[in-house]
Amino acid sequence: MNLLNRYLQEVSKYLPKARREDIVAELRANITSQLEDREEELGRPLTEDEIVAMLQHHGNPMIVAGRYRPHNLGLAFGVQLIGPELFPFYRMILLLNFCITLVILAIVLPIVAREVPGAITLGRFLTPLLMQFAAVTVIFIALEQGKDHVLNRWDPGQLPPLKTASEDGPSARNIFNFVAAAVGTLWLALTPRWPYLLLGPGALYLPAIPMKLMPEWVWFYGAIVALLCLQLGLQFLNLLRMLTRRAGRVADLTLKCAGLAIGILLAFKFPNYVTSPYQDVAEWANLSFLICVIVGVAIGLFGIVRALSRDHRAELTGPRTDHQNPRPYGTGL
Amino acid sequence: MYRTVCIAQYMNESAFENLKLELRRGCLVLAVLSQLRVEHYGYTLRKALAEDGLEIEESTLYPLLRRLETQGLLTSEWREEEKRNKRFYRLSKDGKLVLRQLLDEWQTMGASLGRILRESKV
Repeated sequence: MNLLNRYLQEVSKYLPKARREDIVAELRANITSQLEDREEELGRPLTEDEIVAMLQHHGNPMIVAGRYRPHNLGLAFGVQLIGPELFPFYRMILLLNFCITLVILAIVLPIVAREVPGAITLGRFLTPLLMQFAAVTVIFIALEQGKDHVLNRWDPGQLPPLKTASEDGPSARNIFNFVAAAVGTLWLALTPRWPYLLLGPGALYLPAIPMKLMPEWVWFYGAIVALLCLQLGLQFLNLLRMLTRRAGRVADLTLKCAGLAIGILLAFKFPNYVTSPYQDVAEWANLSFLICVIVGVAIGLFGIVRALSRDHRAELTGPRTDHQNPRPYGTGL
Repeated sequence: MYRTVCIAQYMNESAFENLKLELRRGCLVLAVLSQLRVEHYGYTLRKALAEDGLEIEESTLYPLLRRLETQGLLTSEWREEEKRNKRFYRLSKDGKLVLRQLLDEWQTMGASLGRILRESKV
């Protein structure tokens, strides 16, 4: 059973969060029945090797989980280039790469525009994005082609050991989350007073930079820090297991909505973020900030919609409810 | 020359596998819907299909059940049986209707295909 638990633990890693418990419970029931049937047939308990063979036949955990993804999409160009098992991972990596590239471009382009006038063209803006797209797509097409050879050649005996309650449970993960969030919030709160924390030795040159943040920033910055403090409070309650899963989710969602509201205000009610004696620098910097804020708002909105739809689906399909299973928020599997 | 033959053979096999997969896909849905006129949970359904000669991989069947349920063709409930919680599926009202339509379609296609195959004597 230890091997089965390790297998299910691995499958659960790649499953959509909202349906994870439900799918794992169903898989467990089915595989256990299969094992018991086989034992009955043989008239003896199965050996470790026989269980390994059965799990191997059941499939690579990543592929098995991929088939449960809600949208069975793929990438095809005449023939199927990326199948539905790998497509969710392809989409995730692509999105992550695009976001990182956009943030880097938003920082770099104003500087380039200032140093080399006329150097910024639409082509130069789009090229890194297209290159990212091409590189990630080619890698995943290659993975898809070699999938059968690589992913089907796996050994259940090599599955990671079962995480104990202390590793997977609330303590270890939630303590880490809390400490990380506390350090991050403190860092963010102290940065305006000590810019060295953000810029290092570069902070000495700050007075010489011909660009200043608008005074309204103080309010927005304060609101963001306050929101992070509330998030910290929520994590503290979570650490003490004082929140049920449902209450934790509601509080988390409320904070996400508040964050989104700040983002929307920043994007639409506050067109100028910086001032500069050089108009072109101010325009580029403001545009870059605006793009970053809009991307942030879009990601935030997507996160909220996804969390809501997950909760809705979990309510519809989940075998357990808080009433039957009052577990603390954020305890994982 | 030998290499060219091998590549051609590989491509034929690959094309055959893809076509077989496409052919099976629709049939599996029909078989699963038909079998779920009687309630089953995943494993017993797979066994019942296998006993009727239709082997189906676990990693194909179980997600398929979820998809059919999402489409409203199946209903499911968690229930304890032999001291273990299992998720039992059965055909929904819409599922019964769709199954009837699919079976009509299947019979029409089967009859047409039978005529075509007889005519072309494959």
